[in-house]
Amino acid sequence: MISLKGLKHYYTDADGQEVKALDGVDLEIKKGEYVAIIGANGSGKSTLARHLNALLLPTEGSCQISGLDTSQEENLWLIRQQVGMVFQNPDNQIVAAIVEEDVAFGPENIGVPSAEIRQRVDRSLAAVGMSEYAKHAPHLLSGGQKQRVAIAGILSLEPKCIVLDEPTAMLDPQGRKEIVQTVQSLNKDKGITIVYITHYMVEALVADRVVVMEKGHIRFMGTPHEVFSQVDELEALGLEAPLAAKVASELRKAGHKLPQEIITDEELAQALCQ
Amino acid sequence: MLGNITLGQYFPGNSFIHKLDPRTKILSTLIYIIAIFLADSAVSYGILVAFAALAITVSRLPVMLVLKSVKPILIIVLLTLLIHMFTMPGEHVLFTWKFLMVTEEGLHFGLKMGLRLILLLLFSSILTFTTSPIVLTDGIECLLRPFAVIGVPAHELAMMMTIALRFIPTLLEETDRIMKAQTARGAVFTSGNLVQRVKNMLPLLVPLFISAFRRADELATAMEARCYRGGEGRTRMHHLAYGGRDFVAYAAVCFLAVGLACLRWGSSLCVL
Repeated sequence: MISLKGLKHYYTDADGQEVKALDGVDLEIKKGEYVAIIGANGSGKSTLARHLNALLLPTEGSCQISGLDTSQEENLWLIRQQVGMVFQNPDNQIVAAIVEEDVAFGPENIGVPSAEIRQRVDRSLAAVGMSEYAKHAPHLLSGGQKQRVAIAGILSLEPKCIVLDEPTAMLDPQGRKEIVQTVQSLNKDKGITIVYITHYMVEALVADRVVVMEKGHIRFMGTPHEVFSQVDELEALGLEAPLAAKVASELRKAGHKLPQEIITDEELAQALCQ
Repeated sequence: MLGNITLGQYFPGNSFIHKLDPRTKILSTLIYIIAIFLADSAVSYGILVAFAALAITVSRLPVMLVLKSVKPILIIVLLTLLIHMFTMPGEHVLFTWKFLMVTEEGLHFGLKMGLRLILLLLFSSILTFTTSPIVLTDGIECLLRPFAVIGVPAHELAMMMTIALRFIPTLLEETDRIMKAQTARGAVFTSGNLVQRVKNMLPLLVPLFISAFRRADELATAMEARCYRGGEGRTRMHHLAYGGRDFVAYAAVCFLAVGLACLRWGSSLCVL
């Protein structure tokens, strides 16, 4: 589905210095996969996300979406229909003053006939559980609800892949839970490929694969169990492993025999009870 | 403190006029305004007032609410009346005092102009009371679309209005927040003379503008990510469609305009 080869992205910052936001990234993402990308601030994860629907173009290397190269101008709109993007601030990505009008914005842009737009809007709102708010004004919704509307706005374009760039960074715990559940169900029920960028490690636990980035490189990747059990390596990158993994690691250091793969609270509780 | 600001002056309802197509309401208002300027006799003004009263009754708006909308221009109406009263030359002098002279013609003309202004505002406020800003935007876009060939950016204007409508509440919320933050740091917004107050607004406006620009930037990126590329090749979920009641409304207002034109020129036509 997504194939990055030697992807580099350099830009010049306000002080005239060249910044290597991405410095040679190779990554393959399969159809239907749920990939979480984590990394400290400035590790290049957001820059990477913006390459996936051609908001940014590679300085060097290539970025292909279902075989379409993002650097080719004529592929632009096809790519943006296939890869939707949800941003951090829910307020700044809702265009219209009524929820359903906003969800209709995407399909209106690509010229879908009116009757079909109606169906797509209803389906998308149902998929994120916001049907009853169709006629509401977005500014009266909670953060989590706004973000779900934003996801519905992407869904109505019927993308194969959704990239979420720290979608929960501005939400309260309740809103975070809503988003994680919504995204999970989209991946499971609709088979949509998910690229989920976050700095909340707990949210990355549900992914199929976790990619850890540092200074424009991929440091390591693997299943959540493989990644989050490496507590010390994560800490060296400025990331905090989930609490259970940390506790297990400390207990191991103190001489207790605990299996290496503990990353969730349940797994820790089970291991401790034995 | 900014929570009670309402957008526009839409008064939700379910009346005949509320249900009209926005295009019908905009065009009818225009036709009515033309009719106002056709009126030249007491009878025709009577008809105009009666028509406005009928429209208010049919719209089921509270009468006081509609009448209140005239309040902001009362001073202008009064000024118009006075200027015409005292400056119009005429034959029938009603009253003189030193250099001031009031003529019957002046009084008539002043009253006429005042009534025109009041009717104009009254009727347009029925439009804004019965149409939500969003629907109004749709109507304006639809009406302007034919003028796109001569370079009127119909879609862009409508898009701008939609986004403005969407972000006004958000920016108001933000203003409120910044105000509280600055008040907590010792800023004063509510006292001092006018110059002082305007000066005090600066620490409010600067952060507000910066944040608005940042929002605009992010919104543009989000719109682009959702395949927005201007009005070309765009479809709409809702299509405006005329129904039977729209023709009734058009017929009524056209009848009014034609009737007033007949009253004005009819007698001279009859002579011919």
